[in-house]
Amino acid sequence: MMLPALLVLVLITVLPFIMLIAMSFAKVRLLGGVSLSMNGFGNWSDVLTDPATWHSWGVTLLFFVLAVGMEMIVGTVLALILNSMRRGQSLAFSLVLLPMFLAPITVGLLGNFLLDPTIGLYSWVMESLHLVGAHQSVFGSQTTAMLAVTTLDMWEWAPLVALIVLAGLTSVSPSVLEAASVDGAGYLRTLFSIVIPSILPVLLVALLVRSMDAVRYYDIVHITTGGGPANTTWVISLQLNEKVQATAVDGITTLIGQSAVIGITMLVFTIIIANVFVRVLDRRGLMK
Amino acid sequence: MDKTQTDTGMARRTVLSAGLGAGLGLAALGLAGCTPSAKTSGSGSGWKQFSGTTINFISENTAPSAAIAANSKPFEDLTGIKVNITQMALENLVQKVKLDMSGGTSQYHVVYADPYQVLAPLSQGLTDLNQFVNDKKYPPVEKGLADFIALDAAGRFESKSKLYALPYDCPTMIWMFRQDLFDKYKSKMQADLGFDPTPSGKITWEQYYQIADWFNKNAKADVPYGTGHQAKQHDSLQCDFSNVLWAYGADYFDVPDIGTVGSQNPGKSTLTTPQALDAAKFYDKLLKVAHPSSTTWDWDGLGNAFAAGQVAMCPNWHEYAATNEKSLPGKVGYSILPTGPKRSANNWGGTGIGINANAKGNEQGAAWLFVNWATSPATQVMTLKSAKGGGTPTRTSVYDMAEVKKAEKRPSDMPNMLTASAVLEAWKPENIGLRPKVATWNQLDTIVYTNLSKMIAGSQDPTTTMQAMASQFDKVNG
Amino acid sequence: MSNTIMTSPRTRRVASGLAIVAVLWSVIPLIWMLITAFKPQNAIRTSTPEFLFAPTLVNFQNLFSGGNSVGPFIVNSVIVSVVSTIIAVGLGVVAGYGLCHWKSRGKKDLAFWIISTRMAPIAAVIVPLFVMFRQVGLIDNLLGLIVAYLTFNLPFAIWLMSAFFAEVPPSLQEAAQIDGCNKWQAFRLVVVPTTIPGIIATAVLCLVFAWNDYAFASSFAGPSSQTLPMTAGSLITQTGVDWGQLCALGLITVLPMIVVGLAVRKHLATGLSMGAVTGE
Repeated sequence: MMLPALLVLVLITVLPFIMLIAMSFAKVRLLGGVSLSMNGFGNWSDVLTDPATWHSWGVTLLFFVLAVGMEMIVGTVLALILNSMRRGQSLAFSLVLLPMFLAPITVGLLGNFLLDPTIGLYSWVMESLHLVGAHQSVFGSQTTAMLAVTTLDMWEWAPLVALIVLAGLTSVSPSVLEAASVDGAGYLRTLFSIVIPSILPVLLVALLVRSMDAVRYYDIVHITTGGGPANTTWVISLQLNEKVQATAVDGITTLIGQSAVIGITMLVFTIIIANVFVRVLDRRGLMK
Repeated sequence: MDKTQTDTGMARRTVLSAGLGAGLGLAALGLAGCTPSAKTSGSGSGWKQFSGTTINFISENTAPSAAIAANSKPFEDLTGIKVNITQMALENLVQKVKLDMSGGTSQYHVVYADPYQVLAPLSQGLTDLNQFVNDKKYPPVEKGLADFIALDAAGRFESKSKLYALPYDCPTMIWMFRQDLFDKYKSKMQADLGFDPTPSGKITWEQYYQIADWFNKNAKADVPYGTGHQAKQHDSLQCDFSNVLWAYGADYFDVPDIGTVGSQNPGKSTLTTPQALDAAKFYDKLLKVAHPSSTTWDWDGLGNAFAAGQVAMCPNWHEYAATNEKSLPGKVGYSILPTGPKRSANNWGGTGIGINANAKGNEQGAAWLFVNWATSPATQVMTLKSAKGGGTPTRTSVYDMAEVKKAEKRPSDMPNMLTASAVLEAWKPENIGLRPKVATWNQLDTIVYTNLSKMIAGSQDPTTTMQAMASQFDKVNG
Repeated sequence: MSNTIMTSPRTRRVASGLAIVAVLWSVIPLIWMLITAFKPQNAIRTSTPEFLFAPTLVNFQNLFSGGNSVGPFIVNSVIVSVVSTIIAVGLGVVAGYGLCHWKSRGKKDLAFWIISTRMAPIAAVIVPLFVMFRQVGLIDNLLGLIVAYLTFNLPFAIWLMSAFFAEVPPSLQEAAQIDGCNKWQAFRLVVVPTTIPGIIATAVLCLVFAWNDYAFASSFAGPSSQTLPMTAGSLITQTGVDWGQLCALGLITVLPMIVVGLAVRKHLATGLSMGAVTGE
């Protein structure tokens, strides 16, 4: 039964991946159809010895931890709030979900609009509350740019986490919770000793879903800070994109090969992270 | 027509102007003596031959393209050719054009060929337009190639034998300032600073800095900051810095004609000369008194901020005049940029449109008719008047038209023409600033603005910045 | 969602207060986008936010007029995202069922491989995919985008659906087979209907991902296959970002997704809970 889907999958994902690996060891000529000439480990050593690569990996890790971390925390809190509501839960839930339906490019543009130091609504609010100095843009300072970008990402994706977690919360056995309240445990204690452990698999699934996308999507960063200021938000996808952008058609280039190297390392990174989560799920006997 | 007879006795480093276009002091470079006779195109002479063809034009989101997209009917009526216009940000355009050309396909027949990001790296994917210019089958180029401003810079690469694009637009960086505020504070400023602050090419960059600083300290009630810059980590930062770099007598490379026809082998960079270091130090100092949001603005952000009254002056592309006149009618003045130790340098951002070499048969011919029509004087006047923002004509003859000349003064139905005196001054060879036209420019550009972004953020001092830039340049260019 | 934790009245009051904050946090940007879409230009570019203005449809009129009317782009977006979703979910349901019932030691590895194909960085696979697409004429072609979207939606659909099927008791199918159904009939008539919430949840998520794509569309689509999100790029003009039009476009782009998403919200929640708990 799996055959048709697997065939399609091989065709559209394995074939390009093989080509990607071939390009990572080659010099590429683009004009008149792509042609490769072998370059050994040249591209690999170029990329791996380039300090810019490691800088952007550092930025990426920070982005990953901040964005996914905030999404998990805020998403879980949203789910807990919604779960404890009696009236209006359905309406509140619908409204909270809305951001996840936006295109990332729209989120980036909306971020630019709301945080524009001249005409932005949120800039005006923050300035009125003296949270930022007059005429300062959160995208313009090295200390706040990363926070602003990850917050935008969180704004869009925390609702997805909330959706998954809420689904998990509803399936927590009521008797478990009753036992907890009889016990007279405080809210936080109940939360950490009973609720969180019982929704752990769901949390891990949410984490997995977000981890898959956090590294590869770059629409928001690209449209807001473009990697700046001073490279503080220059995530690895931008480094990859830059290599693809910069190639000249005339002549043979190693840039495409270098971009392939970066792409492969990104994939490996994501797979390792995902693998860790799946193993945790597995070890706890949570996976069927 | 063979154009390899390169020089018709012109100085090697002549830039934009060699011939003299009627009183304007500008004309196409290097074409004197080899232009086809300027005939006005009678309608019907070859315009209809590709009727029924559909062509695609890919363009950056520029004012003339917006104007043509909003009003392409005249072309369709004239030729019977349907033209689809796709507009996008320059970086996306570069990517799409590159993929299109490398694939041996021509999704896009007419290409907006930015000289630095498209023409130089992708010239092999563009058709030589001489074949059309010289073919009697096609309607002639009205008023001849000599009528074009900056033909070499916008249309050629490496040699003069081939013509890849016809000049389509030519935004140029000039000094925009709040005339009302300068009028109000002039005498006070003059008393405090000891010089006449009226913007002109006589003001030095050092004085520009002092004026900006003076506004910061003395005119908060009217305007939050004196100067603003397009200093986001973006192409725009390189554009803004280049004005200062050239004004200080430095350049990216020391190669003759690298700004006009360009070069495949620019050699070692010259970014560590004392002049270049001085330029970097000054730029760093200037950005310290600039509007703090400068580091988030590209040209759009800066244009908006200026129009919203956030800064009293800024260097920006002259096509923003249209926005200024909407938001601050009658309150904005224009001048060429200040002078450095060497000169006033005003970054030229013109672009040509060319034809994808993969385009076949009728598509090629139809594409040429579009290129010819879109760069014709009549179309350029149309875009100048468009409500979509107004074009930046690339024809000497357009600037000579009575109707256009009249628009240089308010009230003007062509707001971009209010900048005419500044722009025409900026285009003089001694004032123009031309980026190096090299195939690796996309990479070099990133190196420049990334390092500058670090410098103005304070994480790298000017000397280190220029040294880092130079060594990265030399690595890219082998 | 009847099951609530912590039901003391005080806790619930605090929760209501927090809920209001959460709702505001989520919707204010969207409301601002909605308002701006109906604002005239001069009410947008103000340093203090403008709340009183004469609403106008000019931003929408501009989007639908001229040489670049978004009308055809909406049609393209609908075709591309709906068709790719149908294919992804169709193949995904069958393959997910197969994966779920595949008895082999390599099952986990296969499952992980399937989902890992979704993790490839978009920017990296654009060049190889472009080369392949060109060979078979899929550039500037709606079919090309449909295929491109399968690269991320198909693995996702298989993965989710396999988790949903794991929830269906095997006895159900056995019972159907005893009643005279063959294996395929049992799957189609008995098993699949029980996973409808899961199928809907999967389909909606696939639809959202495809509809919102920007990177693939801006590389593979051309003048005859342009999609809605791509249009955003062409509104950032050199003579100023037209926020009114951008907000109108953002609104047009997100509305169908909101309508679809909220219409099946319950399925989305129950569907994901079924799958999520299994957590494959």
